[in-house]
Amino acid sequence: MEGTGLAFELQQVSFAYGPEQPVLGDVTLDILQGSWVSLVGPNGCGKSTLAKLLGGLLAVNSGSIIVEGTPLLRETVQQIRPRIGMVFQNPDNQFIGATVEEDIAFGLEGRCLPRAEMVERVKRYADKLEIGHLLAKHPAELSGGQKQRVAVAAILAMEPGIVIFDEASSMLDEKARGELLNILREMKHSGKYTMISITHDAEEIMASDRAIVLRDGRIAADLKPRDLFGDEELLDSCRLIAPYEVRLVRELCRQGIRLPAGYCGEEVAEALWQLYSNK
Amino acid sequence: MAIVFEQVSFAYDERSLWRHSALEEVSLELGTGVFAAVAGSTGSGKSTLLQHFNGILKPTGGKVRVLDFTLQAGEKQPPLRELRRRVGLVFQFPEQQLFEDTVEKDLCFGPLNFGMGAEEARERASKALALVGLDDSFLPRNPFHLSGGQMRKVAIASVLAMDPDVIALDEPTATLDPQSRAELAELLSRLQREQGKTVIVVTHRMEEMLPYVDTWIVMKGGAKVFQGSPAELVRESGWLERECGLAVPACITTWNNIAARFGLEDEEPCLTSEKLAWRVARLLERPGQSIMREGGG
Repeated sequence: MEGTGLAFELQQVSFAYGPEQPVLGDVTLDILQGSWVSLVGPNGCGKSTLAKLLGGLLAVNSGSIIVEGTPLLRETVQQIRPRIGMVFQNPDNQFIGATVEEDIAFGLEGRCLPRAEMVERVKRYADKLEIGHLLAKHPAELSGGQKQRVAVAAILAMEPGIVIFDEASSMLDEKARGELLNILREMKHSGKYTMISITHDAEEIMASDRAIVLRDGRIAADLKPRDLFGDEELLDSCRLIAPYEVRLVRELCRQGIRLPAGYCGEEVAEALWQLYSNK
Repeated sequence: MAIVFEQVSFAYDERSLWRHSALEEVSLELGTGVFAAVAGSTGSGKSTLLQHFNGILKPTGGKVRVLDFTLQAGEKQPPLRELRRRVGLVFQFPEQQLFEDTVEKDLCFGPLNFGMGAEEARERASKALALVGLDDSFLPRNPFHLSGGQMRKVAIASVLAMDPDVIALDEPTATLDPQSRAELAELLSRLQREQGKTVIVVTHRMEEMLPYVDTWIVMKGGAKVFQGSPAELVRESGWLERECGLAVPACITTWNNIAARFGLEDEEPCLTSEKLAWRVARLLERPGQSIMREGGG
């Protein structure tokens, strides 16, 4: 890692697909290298558009974006893109190979890696995402969740410094979602990645360092995930719903039963039983 | 019965070396006007099951009966046009279903295709869009310039515009924001309660559908391993989680923990935070006494 210590610096970024529909207006923010930021907000608030601007897939109408110290311009975009990996909502849009193995190898071939390293990386990341047994399969034979795991493996195999997840877990089943979340946690823990995840998932937001709330193309709040879930009004305005445990503790409180926050799983039943037997 | 499966099997590439089985002798019955949900881990055959409901996939073994239509393995299939009007399918990814250059054209395509007049089709389009919570300002817009969540809502509206008797949706809530998810579940429930539609949802987010669904089906490895009421699902969630890879939501595990602690196993489960908090409050009002068997609120 080099440069300013900032992965992204955005100054008054605006964007519209057409003159009558502005999508983002006046977005100014910094993202620290090595941090994990959640972009949250209602459907249509501009989250995915912002992700595409960060990844250099769209160009700003006005304002500026600096990536790891280099301004993101038409002349520099080819040099910046290899540092950024993007995993999208719909894995069908990013499947290139005729088999899972080819698909993971495709990006590596583009980087002209030695064959031995390609083989090693394909295997390592396939194992990590638990798709080792699918390597010979055609994408059409995979379920939605399996395809998404392939897409994540293909991006991670290129070992980018910045990874943008655009609702990457939204099509996965709960189990696979939990596994992906663990992979994100490991990535964060390794300190090698700056991560930006666009998500509605409460657990994923909680696991990140910082939540940036977008509403109508503007930054409505920029705060710690814990504070976001403590602010019912803000949650409501960005159409989020707190995790079940948080809601239960809140409802119990309305019924006059006070439990300290942060209980999970069996602890809730245990704590209530204690209250019951001590009365 | 709206839908009856008799030992239905389905294999992709049935006659080739690469034959691979996706459904194995599935038998099930769903009555007219039910709200059913299909759960199960990735690759368990949920989507394959759904695609049999309007003849997109035909069984390679057994018999499927949907409304008055019968699809039987090895037999010539009846004309499917009317079946496809009466059974609306919403696929896993909305952009696969959208193709016109305005939302209005997309929504009118189905009704026009099935012989409706232009004026009526437009009316239907506007109504269907309102049902999913989008106003008429979306009609002239290009569907491919919408956000992922908005595209999904339009795709669902395009199926509602045909006014089908059976609505089958494959993971309809993925990519929607949490409140839109709750609203969609509520909308589907309203269509079922007020208009008598039969609704079948494939979902891996069980919590949001739990308050509305009356029949749960759990799939594993292409076979049906469970069909029953929400209360039965809650009681059997332990082995479904352990042996079938079912991701049981926090509201069920929390209830089961509390039910086990307080001896409430025979009660109707309280699966929302409001109901559970209310039930717990009633319990704590009478500490030390035998536990009353009162309703869940």
